[in-house]
Amino acid sequence: MSPLRSADFGIDPDRIGEAEPIARALSRRLGGRYPVDPFGFDPMLADLATPVARALVRVRTEGADRIPETGPAVFVANRGLGIGEPMALGVAVGEMVGRRLRVVGAPGVPFVNGLVRRLGSVHASPEDLAACLRAGHLVAVPLGPTWLRTGAGSPPLELCAAMMGFTVYPVAVTPGGPLGAPIRPWRVRIGPHIELDDTYAPGDPLGAAELGDAMRRAVEEMLAGRAAAP
Amino acid sequence: MRVLVTGMGGELGTRVAQLLEARDDVDEVAGVDFVPPRRRLRRAEFRRIDPRNRDRLVEFVQEYAPSVVAHFGVYEPASRMGPTAAAERTELSTVASLSAAARAGNLEYVVVRSGLEVYGRRVSAASVPDEAVPPAPGSPYGETLLGVEAMAARLGRHHGFPVGALRYAPVVGSHVPSPLGRLLRLPVVPVPAFSDPPFSLLHPDDAAEAMVAAVVRRVAGPLNVVGPGAATPWQAALLGGRVPMPVAPPLWRWATRAAELAGAAMAPHMIELLRHGRTGSGSRAVGVLGLRELRPTQQVLQELYEWAQVVPLVTATEAVA
Repeated sequence: MSPLRSADFGIDPDRIGEAEPIARALSRRLGGRYPVDPFGFDPMLADLATPVARALVRVRTEGADRIPETGPAVFVANRGLGIGEPMALGVAVGEMVGRRLRVVGAPGVPFVNGLVRRLGSVHASPEDLAACLRAGHLVAVPLGPTWLRTGAGSPPLELCAAMMGFTVYPVAVTPGGPLGAPIRPWRVRIGPHIELDDTYAPGDPLGAAELGDAMRRAVEEMLAGRAAAP
Repeated sequence: MRVLVTGMGGELGTRVAQLLEARDDVDEVAGVDFVPPRRRLRRAEFRRIDPRNRDRLVEFVQEYAPSVVAHFGVYEPASRMGPTAAAERTELSTVASLSAAARAGNLEYVVVRSGLEVYGRRVSAASVPDEAVPPAPGSPYGETLLGVEAMAARLGRHHGFPVGALRYAPVVGSHVPSPLGRLLRLPVVPVPAFSDPPFSLLHPDDAAEAMVAAVVRRVAGPLNVVGPGAATPWQAALLGGRVPMPVAPPLWRWATRAAELAGAAMAPHMIELLRHGRTGSGSRAVGVLGLRELRPTQQVLQELYEWAQVVPLVTATEAVA
């Protein structure tokens, strides 16, 4: 079967590909020959947007050897108010291992929701997070927003239960300049995966609360410089 | 094992009967429906009974005394009949055949055909629901399917046998009388003007294999059976070389009438699919039912459109020339 007649039309839904020339990309779009996943992710559109994201957000990554080459994992990162941190993390993962990153937290605003889901955002529900991980994707879960980027933000306890049973990495993302100004590259530090007491059954609320606290502590220590990424 | 296939006259029911016939562990296969089977069956016994003829249906099922019921007597609105007739036949078929099978005293397992329509599409709900998500149907067909599941589960609890429910993604295929397939094959396809939500599909052969696996493994509880990947209304129309016609939310009523005039009736669950999408997490079913690789949604769509190509007939005179 030729790539254009296969189910994914020759575009890998897990790995970032080369952006196609505009004329070919347009012909593909008009012919409907592009893959979409059940979360609404459109890898072809994401491939077209990747060079723009890389030009806007430069990153310096530490602990990149911890990013899995295959299979599911969760990256729990701090977040200011906007999309800078998730975007920087996505660029870092793409540059280091060439994989796509799904970011939990698609806003429920009509039209905007559809657009960000096309670029890899996932609805912030435990069911969607669990389904995304079961499908083998790398997922970023931002902690609660922090205005002045002085802390890690509160963990989304509802989502923690869905993460149990998967590898969870704490990530500290700090901007290159004040208010995210692109003076220097963003710094993305990926810490060692969080160990959770294996006596907790998947979905146990106490285990989820413990995981949430451990995530917050780990990110906070990395942000404060008390824990080194490598 | 004595298996009763209700709705055997449909594409899925006939295919399931064929697969069951080929198994050594199935001693007998019988089926009922108001239309005859769509393919030749070798050893299955078929009775043409309309579910509205309750007495005949009950008499046949009780006499047959199945040990397993594969319940395909669930009729999709706008497929072969209108929404009211479909809901009525589904209810009558479910009540009469399942209760008669239970009363016959030999029943060990029931599996019913259901659909992702039971989850509905509330804004706050999960966009890719798994079996743990509480059902909240948003269309009459979704309510009918949930009613079938509930009725079978009640009967199972009462008589002490396990009940499974296969929640299929929309089944689309070249030979399946699917309203969605019919709509997508129109030259102009209505699509939402301000969104393009994903929906997943299931190949009819995969749907039939899942049902047979459930019968053999006697899986209890609901299972989503969904083809991998997804498509969107705009993409599906373009993939088939159709013209997507954007429809603003207040105009869906008119779009429905226009599609009906063009030969593709649209029920509310289809409008829900086009406007809000319909996907589900089917990973549990793959493991529990031991399904081989399911055909992806895009492949199901491609097969649908390939079949729709019109091949000019060569007349006898042209062939000789």
